[in-house]
Amino acid sequence: LIQTAYSTLLHSSHTEIQSVLPRFSAKLSGIPEDSSCSQLMSAVTPFQMIFEVDEKPRTLMTDCLVIKHFLHKITMVHPKIRFNFSLKVNGILSKEIFGVENEPTLNLWNGIALVVNSQHYVSRPKFGTTESYCSRIHPVLGHPVTLSIPDDMIGVDLSGELTLTPAAALCPTLKDFSNQLNRISSVSQLYIFLYGPLGLPLMSSPEQPITTVFKDTSYFIDWKKYHLHVVPTLDLNLDRDLVLPDMSYQVESSEGAQSQNADTQGHTLLLFLFVDFHSGFPAQQMEVLRVHTLLTTHLGSILAESHSVVQDAIQFTVDQVLEQHHQAAKAHQKLQASLWVAVNSIVSVVTGSTCSSFRAVCLQALQAADTQEFGTKLHKAFQETTQHPFLYHCSCEMKQYLTPEKKDSAQSTEDAYEEGNPAPRAETCWPEENKRLKSGRLHRVVETTHAPHSSRAPRRPEPPTASLSPSGEKAHSKAPAPSRASPGNRLQDALWLQEVSNLSEWLSPSPRP
Amino acid sequence: MAFAPMGPEASFFEVLDRHRTSLLADLRSAGGEPATRETRLASSSEVLASIENIIQDIITSLARNEAPAFTIDNRSSWENIKFDDSVGLQMVPHCITRKVKSDSPKSIQKFALILKILSMIYKLVQSNTYATKRDIYYTDSQLFGNQTIVDNIISDISCMLKVPRRSLHIISTSKGLIAGNLRYIEEDGTKVNCTGGATAVAVPSNIQGIRNLITDAKFLLIVEKDATFQRLLDDNFCKKMSPCIMVTGKGVPDLNTRLLVKKLWDTFRTPVFTLVDADPYGIEIMCIYKYGSMSMSFEAHNLTVPAIRWLGLLPSDLKRLNIPKDSLIPLTKRDQMKLDSILQRPYVTCQPFWRKEMEIMADSKMKAEIQALTFLSSDYLSRVYLPNKLRFGGWI
Repeated sequence: LIQTAYSTLLHSSHTEIQSVLPRFSAKLSGIPEDSSCSQLMSAVTPFQMIFEVDEKPRTLMTDCLVIKHFLHKITMVHPKIRFNFSLKVNGILSKEIFGVENEPTLNLWNGIALVVNSQHYVSRPKFGTTESYCSRIHPVLGHPVTLSIPDDMIGVDLSGELTLTPAAALCPTLKDFSNQLNRISSVSQLYIFLYGPLGLPLMSSPEQPITTVFKDTSYFIDWKKYHLHVVPTLDLNLDRDLVLPDMSYQVESSEGAQSQNADTQGHTLLLFLFVDFHSGFPAQQMEVLRVHTLLTTHLGSILAESHSVVQDAIQFTVDQVLEQHHQAAKAHQKLQASLWVAVNSIVSVVTGSTCSSFRAVCLQALQAADTQEFGTKLHKAFQETTQHPFLYHCSCEMKQYLTPEKKDSAQSTEDAYEEGNPAPRAETCWPEENKRLKSGRLHRVVETTHAPHSSRAPRRPEPPTASLSPSGEKAHSKAPAPSRASPGNRLQDALWLQEVSNLSEWLSPSPRP
Repeated sequence: MAFAPMGPEASFFEVLDRHRTSLLADLRSAGGEPATRETRLASSSEVLASIENIIQDIITSLARNEAPAFTIDNRSSWENIKFDDSVGLQMVPHCITRKVKSDSPKSIQKFALILKILSMIYKLVQSNTYATKRDIYYTDSQLFGNQTIVDNIISDISCMLKVPRRSLHIISTSKGLIAGNLRYIEEDGTKVNCTGGATAVAVPSNIQGIRNLITDAKFLLIVEKDATFQRLLDDNFCKKMSPCIMVTGKGVPDLNTRLLVKKLWDTFRTPVFTLVDADPYGIEIMCIYKYGSMSMSFEAHNLTVPAIRWLGLLPSDLKRLNIPKDSLIPLTKRDQMKLDSILQRPYVTCQPFWRKEMEIMADSKMKAEIQALTFLSSDYLSRVYLPNKLRFGGWI
């Protein structure tokens, strides 16, 4: 399928390229002979596209940024693709590579895998102590919903039903909540990313912005229940290394609290919306571009036509992420408060003691010069020894704690990935998914009896399969075969389960002694 | 004794005297001269050292990069309780413990609260000041959540350090009352005479500190409820039955009331009787005085008086006295569960008459309050019921 995407682009005319890249003015001037489709079936398929660009600096810069943004956005869901972007101006050649090979990914479906390295979505330095944050995002995948086609588009052949599948994640994921506000309102930004069939980015044109429908996100998401107020921002600066969202918003607390400065704290809620064909891929590759063009033009009205189901699916996904965040924050707040009580109590006894030998032993044990240093070191020691089990939010660094039994049971889910692929960078993230791992299946099976919002989403098609994998593996066949977890993924899945279980314990009221 | 008011003739107490003789004989046969096993109060320096040891252990664990934990005897498990007819419910020597870990989401809060209260105790002992459990709760009510949490942690600490609560400088406000033939001097030198007549004296908060106890009482009557206690005072029961002592814990007794009853028994070996409602909760309260409670079993030696007898209100009395059915109350589901739970306790096997009474209650599915006797006459309890029971040995 990924090869099909290559092929589709290879066969595109200038007009078609423009429909995919609305703000792109360059002309496709040629495809070298050795970039034929016959080579596409091999594991590594290089191909080349050459464009002629206007040499006016402003146009050149815009074109470069538009295509770079497009390429970057593609690599976020097609990590196996590497783009060598070369620019020759007056004989001077500059090169840039777009690719995220060997980065952790989350396999979604049909060869689409979301890169979960958070550095692509938010700037890391602005989050202070990087040690406090997980380097990955942990997306929650929502339910796919069938999109209805508006009456005025009924004549258009879409080659099958379209579905929308939302995915959401908070970025960055906290490992240590100690200096955070620990409230849902600590979400300070919302980014929306739009993808069409095959994971091709849906790019908005200035003339017909597809993002109009997202101007007011409360159309799809009820922010009031989180006491949040969301306003669009024009923070679409093309000139930066991050993958640019299609829409960007400032999230503020509507409780009268001061809005948080995203540059110093607060999380970014990433919302990915994938529009794809319900039953696989259309036979004609060129259909993809036609549908893609159609979506670029009419996505707003299609989503508005299916407002109710789209709203349910997005809300459900966002709820999952925010609820996890809220619970995690609560649990961590409780932990921090308890640690401070413990530390202050011990310090109180040590400082208040008149027994010099007792004080000396205590200070010596923590190699503290005075009681003040003792308090600091004591708190640090407590955090180091007690923090591990509470890191349910981020399981990336806890493989060593997995028991062999868990590993064995997790291994039973493996059957599709090629042998010898250890998948060390696999990512895990879906609580709902992982609950099903207990029964030994990783396939995402949305059943009306399991789906909390099923009654409000009557036209729910068969969901895509999702799995966890590294990005460096070989391409699969075109058939939409279910993806499978690798051992590394399952280790983390089991850890996730363990941590979710810890979270439940933590949140449940302690039995009275 | 000069302060003793006129009571019944000496012959009235013949059965009571024989009962006392029998109790003393039982004690002698059980282990010679009855030993007063009052637990020695730990000195302040011992308590401080114990707390310092605990803190040192925690710091050592942390220095080794190990998450510290408290090991606490499990006070809520019957497996840790043994029944001894002469003591009541006691903790077994090597009982099952539970860990309060600092690295467990379930117990981190409790771990912190134990440390918090330990540090407060440390200060109290150091400054030789005392605080009630309520005082401790109110130092940071938001942190503790509720009084029960504080109470449980204090009991856990007392159990962990193996010292009575008094040694931790935590006192409970006494809610109990005492009246009758008793005089004593409190720790601060205050002389107390309980022979006042219509008024009762509050049970002192420092039972270990009272001295020079003097009484001629032929019996000690524990009254479950304050209302009944007051009614008996109004009826001049202590004078009519003189010399005697009456105590009420106003429901479930606090530690001081239990300590006082225990002290009076240890000091005078006066027969002790209970007057409780003929319902499962009345029986439960009586059992706490007699055998102790599971949660405080680690301090049973200081608190229980196994010589206590059940004077009334017996379920069998209801039929014997023809108490009409409309004066009785049907047992609720909760009552029945409580009754079943008591029937399964280890001490019931050595109390066949108690078992029989409880079975009568279970069969009739009815319970009665002491006030049910007012159906016969308003002063039936003090004028007829209790005197007859005491005179003719109507206890079990």
